[in-house]
Amino acid sequence: MLKDKIEKHLLEVQKPSRYIGGEVGSITKDKSKIDVRFAFCFPDTYDIGMSHLGMKILYSLTNERENYWCERCFAPGLDFEKIMRKNDIPLYALESLDPIRDFDFIGFTMQYELSYTNVLNMLDLAGIPIFAKDRTDSLTQIVVAGGPCVCNPEPLADFFDIFILGEGEEVNLELMDLYCEMKKKGASRLEFLKEAAQIEGIYVPQFYEFFYKENGTVDHIETKENAPKIVRKRIIKNLDNVYYPENFVVPFTEIVHDRVSVEVLRGCIRGCRFCQAGFIYRPFREKSSDTICTETKSLCENTGYDEVSLASLSTSDHSDIYTMLTKLIDYTEKERVNLSLPSLRVDNFSESLLEKIKKVRKSGLTFAAEGGTQRLRDVINKNVTEEEIMNTCRIAFQGGYSAVKLYFMMGLPTETDEDIVGIAELAQRIVDLFYSIENRPKGKGVQVSVSCATFVPKPFTPFQFEPQDTREEIERKQKLLLDSVKTKKIRVSYHDPNVSMLEVILAKGDRRLCPVIYTAWKKGCKFDSWSEHFRFDKWLEAFEECGVDPKFYANRRFEYDEVLPWEHLDYLVSKEFFIRENKTAHTAVTTPHCRQRCSGCGVNKKVGRECF
Amino acid sequence: MIRLRAEFEKKGRAKYISHLDLNRCMLRTFRRSRLPIWYTEGFNPHPYYAFALALSLGFESNCEILDFNLNEEIPFDEVRDRLNSVMPEGMRIIRVWEQKMKITAIKEAEYCFSLVSENVDGLFDDINKLLSQENIFIGKKTKKGMKTVDIKPDMKIISCENESGRINVRMRLPAGTQTNFNPNLFIEALKNSAQIGFSAEKITRTGIFCDDNMKFE
Repeated sequence: MLKDKIEKHLLEVQKPSRYIGGEVGSITKDKSKIDVRFAFCFPDTYDIGMSHLGMKILYSLTNERENYWCERCFAPGLDFEKIMRKNDIPLYALESLDPIRDFDFIGFTMQYELSYTNVLNMLDLAGIPIFAKDRTDSLTQIVVAGGPCVCNPEPLADFFDIFILGEGEEVNLELMDLYCEMKKKGASRLEFLKEAAQIEGIYVPQFYEFFYKENGTVDHIETKENAPKIVRKRIIKNLDNVYYPENFVVPFTEIVHDRVSVEVLRGCIRGCRFCQAGFIYRPFREKSSDTICTETKSLCENTGYDEVSLASLSTSDHSDIYTMLTKLIDYTEKERVNLSLPSLRVDNFSESLLEKIKKVRKSGLTFAAEGGTQRLRDVINKNVTEEEIMNTCRIAFQGGYSAVKLYFMMGLPTETDEDIVGIAELAQRIVDLFYSIENRPKGKGVQVSVSCATFVPKPFTPFQFEPQDTREEIERKQKLLLDSVKTKKIRVSYHDPNVSMLEVILAKGDRRLCPVIYTAWKKGCKFDSWSEHFRFDKWLEAFEECGVDPKFYANRRFEYDEVLPWEHLDYLVSKEFFIRENKTAHTAVTTPHCRQRCSGCGVNKKVGRECF
Repeated sequence: MIRLRAEFEKKGRAKYISHLDLNRCMLRTFRRSRLPIWYTEGFNPHPYYAFALALSLGFESNCEILDFNLNEEIPFDEVRDRLNSVMPEGMRIIRVWEQKMKITAIKEAEYCFSLVSENVDGLFDDINKLLSQENIFIGKKTKKGMKTVDIKPDMKIISCENESGRINVRMRLPAGTQTNFNPNLFIEALKNSAQIGFSAEKITRTGIFCDDNMKFE
C-alpha cells in the first residue's frame, strides 16, 4: 500500500502532517461508489495552496455530489520530492492517498505565472505524460486548469487538455457531468474533448492553431473540430445565491492564511489600469450582509477557527459595508473571534469605519498608493489623492497607529524620474505628518515601509499593450529611489527585476513559450516564485536553446491592431475599451469608477443587464 | 470554574501532529465542541488548557494528559463525548475527571516499541550487551546546546523480548518538570553500539506515573 511506503519516510521530512491528510473537514468517500474522481492540484506547497479560497469552494462543491470525489494535491517540498523519486512514490491525493494518475481529472489552479514549472514537475512526479499529445486516447487523466492565469493560457497550451475560463462553480460540474455520461458510453478522449469544447467557458487548446507573421506577431488563429472561434468566460449571475462551503479543511500545520475566509463581493468598480483582477472578474457583484454573516457563523462554528477575514478586491466598496460590519462585529465580539479586513481603500476609509475596525485589530495599516505623484496616479487611474492618503494617515496616527506600509509600482507607463523621487517625498511627508500631530502615539517613532514592485503589464488590462522597462532601467530607478530616501524611518524594499521580467513573458506569451517552460523545467527550474529556488540563468539558457527572444514579449509594445495571443478568449471586457483606456492613460486623464458613471467596458451588454 | 483533566490517545495519522500544531488543533477542537471553556482574564484573554507532557513527533500514545477548565459543571462523559465528536482522526478522549494531582507529581513515562532487523538474534545480543553496561552515555539536545547524559541509572527495562522476528521493548524513563528522557536516546545509543542495522517501529507512550509507581491521576 502507498500509505505504508509514505509513512516509512514521513519522519525524515519537514512538517510531515502536510503529506498524510486526515485533517478535520477533509472528505473521504467509498471509491467503489464513485463515478468521477477529481484531483484538485495546487502548484505550490501545502502551506500556500491550503490558503487558496477557490480550492475550498470547488472542493466542497464537487463533494456535495455523492458520486463525485474531489481530493487535494500539492507540490511536495524539495526534501519530500527527493524521497518520493528515490522510493517510487508517485504523486498522490491527500484524502485517499491514491496516485493521481488513476484519477479522471487532474485539475490545476493557475494563480501566478511563476508556478508553471511546478505543474510540469507535478505531472512528472505523478507519472502522467507532460505533453497533452502524449496522453493515451482512453478517457482518463484529463488534465485541466482554471484560475486567473488561464486568461492567457497559451504558454501552457501544450501541457493541458482543457482550460476552464472564468468562475468554476457551474462549469466544473457541467464538465464532470459530460465526462460521466460519455465515460459510461465508452467514448474516446477525443470524442469527449470535442463535446466539451461546446460548453461555454471550456477551451480545448489542441483545437486551435496559431499562425505567425514574419515579424513574429500572431497572424491569425484557426479552429478545428467545430470548436468555437471565441471562447467566453463563465460567470455566476447571482452571487448571493451561489454555493459557499459551510466547512473548510482545517490543517494541522500553520498555513499562510490560517483563518476563515468569507467572500463578500466579486469584481471591482475601480478600473485601475494595471490591475488584471479588476477587469477579468467583472461584472461587480456582491453578497448581501445577511448571507455574509450566515456564512461567517457557520464556518466559524464548523472549523473552530477564531479568526475570520473578508475576501474581496475592495471590501469597502460593498454597498452595505456599515451594516455588514456592525452585524459581523456583534457576532465576532460575542464569540471572541478576530475579524480582519484586508483590501480597504484609502479614499473611503472613513473615521467611523476606522472606529469600527479599531475594536478588532491593531496591526499595521497598508495603503496601495501605487504611484509617487498625482500625475502618475492619474495615468494608472488609481483615483487616490495625496490629501486622502494624508487624511487617512492622520486618522490612523491619532487612533494609535505608528506603522504605515505603502505599496508602489515602478516602471509604469509614462513614468519619469520625478515620479520615482515622488515616492520618497510622499513617504517623507507622512513621516513629517506623524511628528506634527500633537496626540500621536507616545514613546514610539513612526515607521513608513515603502514596498516597490516592478510593473508587469498583464493581458485584459488597458496596459496589456505596454512594454516593461528593461532590467537596466529598473535597476537605475531602484537606485534613484534609495538615494532619494533621507531617513531611517522610511524603509524601502523592492522586487528582483528578473522575476518581474519572467512574469511578464509568461503572462503575455504565446505557444512558442511551451518548449521554453519545458526546457527550463528540465534544467531544474521549479518553485520559481521562491527567491531561494529562482534560477534566472537557467531560464535564459532555455530561451536561448529554444530560439525565443525574451525581449520580444517583455520589452516590446504590442500594437493596438495586433492579434493578441489571447484574442480568441472573451473575458467580457472589450478590446476597444482597453484601447480607449490606454489612450486616455497616456493623456493622464482618469476614468470615474463604475458607480459614478458607466465607462462602457462592454460587460453589461454581454451579460445582458446593467451592472448597477 | 471546574478544573478538568482528560486522558486521550494520539494514534495513526495523528502522530504526525507536532506539539505546537497540537496546541492549535486543541483550541479549534474546544471551539467546535462549544463547551463553556474558561478563558484567562488577562489583557489578552484566551482559553486555558495545557498538556502534561509533550509527545515527540511520530510517537503514538494512549495516555496523553490534557488539563482545562470549564465555567459550568457538565457530566464528565458528556464532556468526553462532545470533544470526541469534533476530534481529528486518530485522537480520542478516553476519560475525563476532576484534576487530582499536580502536574509536578509526574516522574516517569512508560514506552513500548519494536525493533526490527534482518538479524534479530544478533541485535538481541547487542541490546543485552548495552544493557549490561554500567553507563549509557548519549548526546542530548538541550536549550543550551548538546549535553552528554547517562541514561542508564534512570532507565527501567520492564520487558525486552525477542519474539516472532522482532524485539519488543517496554521501558520507563524519567519524565515531568525535572528530567525528560526520550526512548530515542536509548535507540540512538543502541545504534552507536550495535553491529547490526535495525529500525524502531511503533514507539508508543503507554503510561504516565508518579512516585511509587502510582498512575498519574
